[in-house]
Amino acid sequence: MEDREIRDWFRREVLPLEKSLTQFIRRNWRVEADVADLRHDVYELALSGARKGLPHATRAYLFVIARNHLINRAKRARLVSFELVADLESIDNDPSSFDHERQLVARDMLRRVEKGLATLTPRVRQIVMLRKIHGFNTKETADELGIGLDAVRKQTSVGMRALTDYILGLGEEAERGVIAFPRRDKGKSK
Amino acid sequence: MSRAEQASLEAAQWLTAQCDGPLSNEEQAIFEEWLNASDGNKAAYWRLELGWEEAGRINALDLGHDGFEPQSDSPKWRWWAGIGLAASVALMIGIYQFAGGWAVTQVGARPSELASASYSTSVGEKHLVGLPDGSRIQLNTQSSLRTRFTSDQREVWLDRGEAFFDVAHREDQPFVVHAGDREISVLGTQFSVRRDKDKTTVAVLEGRVRLVEMKDNRPVRTSLITAGDIAVASDTATFVGAKSENGVEQALSWRDGMLAFDQEPLSTIAAEFNRYNTRKLVLDAGVLGEIRITGTFPSDKPDAFARLLREAYGLRVDENEQHIRIYR
Repeated sequence: MEDREIRDWFRREVLPLEKSLTQFIRRNWRVEADVADLRHDVYELALSGARKGLPHATRAYLFVIARNHLINRAKRARLVSFELVADLESIDNDPSSFDHERQLVARDMLRRVEKGLATLTPRVRQIVMLRKIHGFNTKETADELGIGLDAVRKQTSVGMRALTDYILGLGEEAERGVIAFPRRDKGKSK
Repeated sequence: MSRAEQASLEAAQWLTAQCDGPLSNEEQAIFEEWLNASDGNKAAYWRLELGWEEAGRINALDLGHDGFEPQSDSPKWRWWAGIGLAASVALMIGIYQFAGGWAVTQVGARPSELASASYSTSVGEKHLVGLPDGSRIQLNTQSSLRTRFTSDQREVWLDRGEAFFDVAHREDQPFVVHAGDREISVLGTQFSVRRDKDKTTVAVLEGRVRLVEMKDNRPVRTSLITAGDIAVASDTATFVGAKSENGVEQALSWRDGMLAFDQEPLSTIAAEFNRYNTRKLVLDAGVLGEIRITGTFPSDKPDAFARLLREAYGLRVDENEQHIRIYR
């Protein structure tokens, strides 16, 4: 598999699933701080696996990897319980949620960008807008704001990462998670 | 720091660097090494790349007064060429609202009202001008231009340099560009006009234009130039090049901040770079000028181009504040 094909597939079919994948991990893992790491692992495993050939059903492929990875991690961490494994067996394969995830819908994306932008600090937001709307580079941004190049680079990185989280769905979930998706606490202990 | 966070931070650094222009060959090699080091790095980079691309949708948001606008007098309109036409028109009107109200008062103006203005750019600068009729002009480096609109004619004088015109169609109000002893008249189309010392070059992207040779204010000869054509007018000769869309695209690549060359001699390329930069490329006598080069390069990075010459052709490069000297 060429890298280019894998990249296209990753962008087209895997990343749009980020929101569901994150939800899935969060539902099945009690330590919130691990969620981003676990997702990163799943992506890495998914890419390595795809090198032998792109899967036919990306969603099923991705969630099987996620499940296996969570089980492995849980075993290593001695966290495993029957409940956890049982949960993991029943992977959500609801076909209706499948379709609208296939692509990041433009209107929805725009809303996410807008909300994501609102969560940034004013300085980071300024920098993102100078770069994205006015096409400024690091130097021009630094001159415009009268700050150093390193500060611009650092804040660009912050904005880039925060917006990506938001746009691909994690930010929104994290925000709503407290109210709408309380993590289940079934008394599993470490 | 977790692995995910580490990879994401590194990916953001690379992506930021790439937003500032193409990496040098050394940087590119380090980047590729990093990217190929693990699928985790690839995941982090590709993910951020998609997210940051999607973040470009803020161009479609109506940010109103909450939006931050730059304070410079001469913002660089590099985003313009990259985004959709309709969106950019809408956005432009919005942006001009803060830029002193000029366009706002003009946008609704009836064509019978007279509107004159002049614009100029310094070395390396580009400027986008929105006209009252909805036409737009993008002014390239070191150029100056005046406009005058009346109820029956839209007139522009390109006094020096180069400009791209995107002309709104008006049946009864021709759009005329005066470039020295040449006149280019159109009804609605997209084309560029460039003036050099002894010649005028017209490249037509869309529609067609009429190129008229003037003498003592009277038309003497007319050539019709259609999309894909590049006409070079010099003195009493007008040469229309063979149809080539690549050629026109190449001639217009400056709008994206790029210079494109197809088998051009190094001496021509150096002269092109020098139009855009105060730091001049200087070729050592003789030998070098004839090297022919094909490629696309950022117009504001003569140093990066020089490095490329060093690596690709084994030429030596000597840089200081004013000059980048190239020799064998």
